[in-house]
Amino acid sequence: MIAQVFFSALLGIVFLYAWSEYRRSPAIAVLSLVTALAGLYFVWVPDDSTRLAEFVGIGRGVDLILYTWVGISLIVILNLHLKLRIQLEMITLLARSIALAGARAPRAQASGNSTPVPDQP
Amino acid sequence: MSEATPNLWVICAAYNEAAMIGQVVTELGRAGYQVVVVDDGSADSTGQVAAAAGAHLVSHPLNLGQGAALQTGIDYALARGAEFLVTFDADGQHRVTDVPRLIDALQRERADFALGSRFLGATHNVPRLRRWVLHAATAFTRLTTGLELTDSHNGLRAFTRQGAAAIHLRQNRMAHASEILAEIARSRRRYVEVPVAIDYTAYSLAKGQRLSDSVLILLDLFAQELTR
Repeated sequence: MIAQVFFSALLGIVFLYAWSEYRRSPAIAVLSLVTALAGLYFVWVPDDSTRLAEFVGIGRGVDLILYTWVGISLIVILNLHLKLRIQLEMITLLARSIALAGARAPRAQASGNSTPVPDQP
Repeated sequence: MSEATPNLWVICAAYNEAAMIGQVVTELGRAGYQVVVVDDGSADSTGQVAAAAGAHLVSHPLNLGQGAALQTGIDYALARGAEFLVTFDADGQHRVTDVPRLIDALQRERADFALGSRFLGATHNVPRLRRWVLHAATAFTRLTTGLELTDSHNGLRAFTRQGAAAIHLRQNRMAHASEILAEIARSRRRYVEVPVAIDYTAYSLAKGQRLSDSVLILLDLFAQELTR
């Protein structure tokens, strides 16, 4: 019973995390939601998890739950990777703005003029 | 060609290319083209060498990757009223004489994109392993974009102004070549392939992509699909 409550709380947090991520990464959110719901079901109906585990060749229901947990962890890692990509895109835009603002045309360089090249329409 | 083709800009993305960039910029300048070198956070004197050779210089404050550098160069050239834009590798493997052929193809075919192909007869010394990898990449590109191409990872390309404006690269690193093709397919604008030569040297081969990079490219493309 203690383990069931503990895992339910953890899966509940995953559920809330997935819910909050839906707008940013729908695919990740749906995957996490489905996995968390499946995990909750198997935590409270372990006989079904054992039957499913035997069906797919894992052996014990508790192993299936652990595998589910590993799956959730991998999905969360993937989501963190995607967030890092978004951060990198923002850094790229910032770096590009800085680079374009400091661009130098050949004549300006030859004369040692440090005035940036003005934009043209 | 440069008089007949006003406002043609050649874009070179350069990272630690001090050994070659001066020669590349000088040759392009002799042909009458405006050259913008995007120094992608090089640790050597790439920027100074390019500037001394007569290029417009845009310097990234940190290394972002070739895709990011090309997009910066495209933005710079478009802001200066470029009518035609050419991407040209900084390692000296492309020939300046191929540039007017790309522009001619754009004008003759009324296309917005002219893509160089080393497999249309102009290059004969492609290393075997590289040839296999490139053919696999081309097959993948045909499958995912529907573009009928023979060379999907050639750095020598020409765009019209309208074509360049349709390119918005989000892939900073190696996957940008595939992303450019995906953007071309998405734009539904006309494209044409042009035979070009690639001069493989020990220097350009050392700078080129490795087989393992193809896995990273696929992962990058997959990750982008998830955040689209």
